[in-house]
Amino acid sequence: MREHIQNRRYHVEIVPPKQDSEKLDADLVQFAEKYRRVMASGYCACITDNAMGLLAFQGLETIEYLGLPVPPDQVMIHLNTFHTKPDLDFILSEGRRMGLRYLLAISGDGSDRLPKLQPADVGAEGVSSVTSVELLQYIRSAYPEYILGVAFNPYEPPDHEFAKMERKLAAGATFIVTQPIIARHPVVDELLRRYPAIPTVVEAWMTKKLYLLSDVVGYQIPEDTAYSPLDTLRKLHAWYPQCGVYLSLLGFKIQYPIIEKLWKNLPEATAS
Amino acid sequence: MKIVVCVKQVPGTSDAKIDPETKRIIREGVKSILNPFDLYAVEEAVLLRERFGGEVIALSMGPERASAVIREALSIGADRGVLLSDRAFGGSDTWATSYALARAVDTIGGVDLVICGKQAVDGDTAQVGPGIAAHLGFCQATYVADIRAVTPETITVQRMNEDGYDVCELAFPAVITVVKGINQPRVPSLRGVLAARAADVPVWKPADIAADLSKIGLDASPTRVVRTAPPEPRGGGTIHVAGSPVECASRLLEILQARELIQGGR
Amino acid sequence: MRITDADKPLFTNVWIIAETVGGAIQPVTYELIGAARGLADARGSRVAAIVVGGEADASLFAYGADIAIVVNGPEFVGFNDELECASLNHLIGKYKPEIVLCAATARGRALIPRAAVRTVSGLTADCTGLAIDPETGDLLQTRPAFGGNIMATIRASNHRPQMATVRPNVMKALPPDPTRKGETIREQPPDAGVTNAKRVIETVRGGESGVNLADAKVIVSGGRAMRGPEGFAMLKRLADKLGGAVGASRAAVDAGWIAYPHQVGQTGQTVQTALYIACGISGQIQHLVGMQSCGCIVAIDRNPDTPMMKLADIAVTGDLFEVVPALAEALG
Repeated sequence: MREHIQNRRYHVEIVPPKQDSEKLDADLVQFAEKYRRVMASGYCACITDNAMGLLAFQGLETIEYLGLPVPPDQVMIHLNTFHTKPDLDFILSEGRRMGLRYLLAISGDGSDRLPKLQPADVGAEGVSSVTSVELLQYIRSAYPEYILGVAFNPYEPPDHEFAKMERKLAAGATFIVTQPIIARHPVVDELLRRYPAIPTVVEAWMTKKLYLLSDVVGYQIPEDTAYSPLDTLRKLHAWYPQCGVYLSLLGFKIQYPIIEKLWKNLPEATAS
Repeated sequence: MKIVVCVKQVPGTSDAKIDPETKRIIREGVKSILNPFDLYAVEEAVLLRERFGGEVIALSMGPERASAVIREALSIGADRGVLLSDRAFGGSDTWATSYALARAVDTIGGVDLVICGKQAVDGDTAQVGPGIAAHLGFCQATYVADIRAVTPETITVQRMNEDGYDVCELAFPAVITVVKGINQPRVPSLRGVLAARAADVPVWKPADIAADLSKIGLDASPTRVVRTAPPEPRGGGTIHVAGSPVECASRLLEILQARELIQGGR
Repeated sequence: MRITDADKPLFTNVWIIAETVGGAIQPVTYELIGAARGLADARGSRVAAIVVGGEADASLFAYGADIAIVVNGPEFVGFNDELECASLNHLIGKYKPEIVLCAATARGRALIPRAAVRTVSGLTADCTGLAIDPETGDLLQTRPAFGGNIMATIRASNHRPQMATVRPNVMKALPPDPTRKGETIREQPPDAGVTNAKRVIETVRGGESGVNLADAKVIVSGGRAMRGPEGFAMLKRLADKLGGAVGASRAAVDAGWIAYPHQVGQTGQTVQTALYIACGISGQIQHLVGMQSCGCIVAIDRNPDTPMMKLADIAVTGDLFEVVPALAEALG
């Protein structure tokens, strides 16, 4: 992950087609186009796992079905705790077969339709439910070849979140991806102070619809709030020059050509 | 084992809103989905086939677009599907619906087990499963939460009730209705969905199931909806209570006692 | 069976199917008798309580039944759908009731659809209103449809008997009159080979599997905001003081804080209690459809703007971890 940051390699989120899509063929074509573009830029494609509990196809099966390449340094799969044990093992062994290296282990959002891993599935004892910590422990022991990342949420009470981070790092995480940052955030500053040696990637919110972040930040953002994703991205590079950047909800038509040059053209980073 | 699993297309609720005036759910314009309980029925049927071999046939009755729920069943492992669709089936109540489905089960032939979800979320009647059993003269068990054993002649199930559960053994052929929690339905794979989309789902008409025309559709349905009305709005609006916890508690208690909803208190 | 108007006088009396558990007559039986009494009075007919696989006692008459018809014997072991249904159908064929009411319990909802198919009767589930049409004498059955979104009134003019199920706690039992007497008739079960298909091996009562939300008068329910099993222990203390049961949203069940039988909502139980106290439940539609037909809804939440707080009859804005214990305390 360190190399991703040194090489100014963006993490670009790509959402696989939704299960209930009424235009699946078009969605698959679009997925392939976005993916190929990210590969061509030398960036890292980050594939979500039923984000927000909305049922979507798995990243790896989509990549495999579309016959897309998996360069080890250019693909990261999100993996949450809402899977059956056989599905989890299938994803992890398919990933191994396809040469995947990076996994982002998250608790994730459930839904009525999504099964939840049980402690016994991942050999966890003394816990009532499986979180990213137990998931990490399982992957590290059963599939040690993966490089594991975890999420950090600066909008949660910091004591709690830092205690969780300790457990995640103890469980085998070697890099961190934050929730979307829209302003310099003191809790992220604290994270970087505490873990200067852990590669950290901050998430940039690339849609103007800032209000969609209301649930994440924990307060209601008015729908008409003005927000410039690209300005914020530039600021993120300035605030956190030692960090990688994860681009969520990136627009591929207008934004992509801009961001392709943006980081590369910035002057040499000096860690603050 | 030859298993028929009955599935129904129902209106979804995920994007429904609440009418601020009546405080009721607005369902217009919502997506159609597979009845959530039927998913457990499909999964259980597929699990049984995986253990004991045989075939799983997804069966539904509805308009042509209801083939979508059959395809969903196919995408998670049903082998084939049948849709009963014809104007003549329209307006069927649970009696006529269970008759038509029973005729289809009979037409499929050699069926050992019919599995239904415990109820459909639109009608909430839970009548069609036992209705199919009654039309076919099959043994039945409702609210099944676990299948304990299967022999060539019998199936032993745990079924839930208000006070606990019982375990009973049913001779084949049988109908069971299953509750959430009997299994964890698998999520369809991309290849599964694409194959299901391409699958041929035959549409059967009354003649295909040798249906007695006097037993299907609106005219054959004993019950008739004579009137629908919005429910009484939750009258009087909302009483807002705020203040210290003790103030809130005593104010709430006062209101509930005045409405004779609780006794006691001091 | 299908009938013409001329056949209608052949069918008389209002029947209720007594609900028994382990031989004990359940309270919902008296609620059914209460509802049947009004209908029978409107029709100038009598109320019969049907006890299949159990025994009648004087309470049936005290609560308003005129007749009890009992079918019992050693072959009634546990709940045997096929045997009980065959017995009931035999009685229906013999006595020709005009109306049959049954509890919308697990047993009732298994038994009565089977009987309705076999006797070619109209059946309406979960009625919240029952009345006699003064013009035709037909039973008008009102029930919530689409999760309580619509009230549908249903009739079965051309079929007799007219069958309906009613959830526990929806109808009112009459005050019992211990001096009321009635007639008890014993009937034999049919001797067809219906008993061979099913064998009830074991009946287990109580435990987590037997959460009796349907029977509860009050439900105290919690969601994600309960933070953990301890939060639900707190709700249980309040529910115990109110003589109620504990419910939960799907989020809390999925989190493993409370078992699935407590879940209220679309994929849990639909409840119609007189009082529903929602603690920290934001009110997703899937939850609301399971409880919006409750008589009085109280919501307790820190956030006054949730869908549940807007739906509620009484919205208490406050920290539920303070308000709930204060309420339990105030109840003494």
